[in-house]
Amino acid sequence: MPNFFIDLIAATDEGRREFETHPVVFASVAHGMSIERYRALLCELYHIVWHFNPICAAAASRIDDGYANIRHFLYRHIHEESGHEQWVLNDLEAIGVSREQVIARPSQNVLALVGFNYWASDRRHPCSVLGMMYVLEVLAAVYGGPFSATIRETLFLEGERGTSFLSSHASLDAVHLAELRDILNQLTSEDAKAAVTESVLVNFRQITSVFGAI
Amino acid sequence: MNPPDSVGIASLLSRPYKSIRLEWSSELSALRVRTCVTPVQCYSLAAMGELQRVLLDITENQGLVKHFVMTSDVPGVFNFGGDLSLFVLLIRARDHESLRLYGRRCVDLLWWMETAAQIGVHTTVLVQGDTLGGGLESVMPFHKVIFERSAQAGFPEVLFNSFPGMGAWNFTIRKSGFAVANEMILSGKLYTAEQLHECRLVDIVVDDGRGEEAIEDAMRAVHPRLRGTLAALQARSIAAPVTYQSLMDIVDRWTINSLSLTDRDLKLMERLARAQARKGMRGVTEGAVEEIKRVELDRAWGEERTGITEWASL
Repeated sequence: MPNFFIDLIAATDEGRREFETHPVVFASVAHGMSIERYRALLCELYHIVWHFNPICAAAASRIDDGYANIRHFLYRHIHEESGHEQWVLNDLEAIGVSREQVIARPSQNVLALVGFNYWASDRRHPCSVLGMMYVLEVLAAVYGGPFSATIRETLFLEGERGTSFLSSHASLDAVHLAELRDILNQLTSEDAKAAVTESVLVNFRQITSVFGAI
Repeated sequence: MNPPDSVGIASLLSRPYKSIRLEWSSELSALRVRTCVTPVQCYSLAAMGELQRVLLDITENQGLVKHFVMTSDVPGVFNFGGDLSLFVLLIRARDHESLRLYGRRCVDLLWWMETAAQIGVHTTVLVQGDTLGGGLESVMPFHKVIFERSAQAGFPEVLFNSFPGMGAWNFTIRKSGFAVANEMILSGKLYTAEQLHECRLVDIVVDDGRGEEAIEDAMRAVHPRLRGTLAALQARSIAAPVTYQSLMDIVDRWTINSLSLTDRDLKLMERLARAQARKGMRGVTEGAVEEIKRVELDRAWGEERTGITEWASL
């Protein structure tokens, strides 16, 4: 069976490691972050999560019939992720941020991240959406657990109050990552693979900028 | 017109690499690979791909390279071994196939070292800092293993319920015997260069700063009798064989075991991965070795007595 998943990891390894070793990310996973920074991060995450499904829908609507498996995968994913932005809003409320404050205006880094993903789904290759999904699910499955545990511990948050989005995605996205791996391994078109690889690199770079700027 | 050798070495040296740097000494026909994997000095897929490319070039240009030397350009670290952060990703993705592929790529690198004498290449490695797990496994098939005195090494995998699956058993048993392999792999302890020399896993120990000289001495000592030495080393592989199949079978066991690691095991792996990355950061001297010592201390003095250590909170 072709293994594009491992090729993708190898081709984008540097981007992942640059995210992981960015001083802000590194310090956050190891030692947590201040409540102000955590509020700022969740506000940014809200916009990323809110646009996740519309981007998937845009890609699903443009994808060629030859990729029916990917279109159905996107439908399922859209259904599963539906309403998750509300989890972010609940967490923000738990740490003292009102809905109005959150929705105000995303940063330029988030605008660039979201903007790229809409553009790539529309003009580059609809399969590039899989690159965005890969990055977000790797972040949640690999870094989400330790990060939310540290945040809970350092900000003295009880149970999942204030961290429900991060901690539930840490376990949810481990399952999603396995499903995404299967879909990526079904890709045969070199154009589609190139688009996914490019998208992973851009998404890692942008998400690192989002973390770096908070 | 250039002689064929200079054309071969020029094309070999001209490839663009990110994680390695090549140096050529025409006097001894020695190719030196200096590794510098960013951001963590470990066997990442990208770094292994580059190493494999170099080894393939040597194989395809037989007779060109007579000495292969490997060193690290990262101060205080030879190699942290397997890419722990990648393992966590693949294990969480339940990706049996990719884990196995990673292990097999490691074995292919080892196997080239193991069979280098057959293509007329003598191999030397200098370790000048920490080398753990896969990092230690990777030096064992070299014909001459040199450690600077402050270097430390070990197989810490058992700490997170794994084991070194890419040649540790085969090569430690061959060089040092079954009892030493058992002790090293099952204890997870770290060893000094002197201790490794005493059990014959390391051939030469030199004072810090004398490693470069030791490489030169080792190559010059073997060079006049290179053909005889390589013939003897090939005969050694017949007398004490390590087979490719047995290495691959162990990788398969390692893969199956990796997928059975618990969340707690993965958290410890993540803790060590963070410690590996920390050592690469500017001004930070503590890394995975210090973290392993902390884990061992937590285990010995904390968890068993009180159950309220950092280890227990993982």
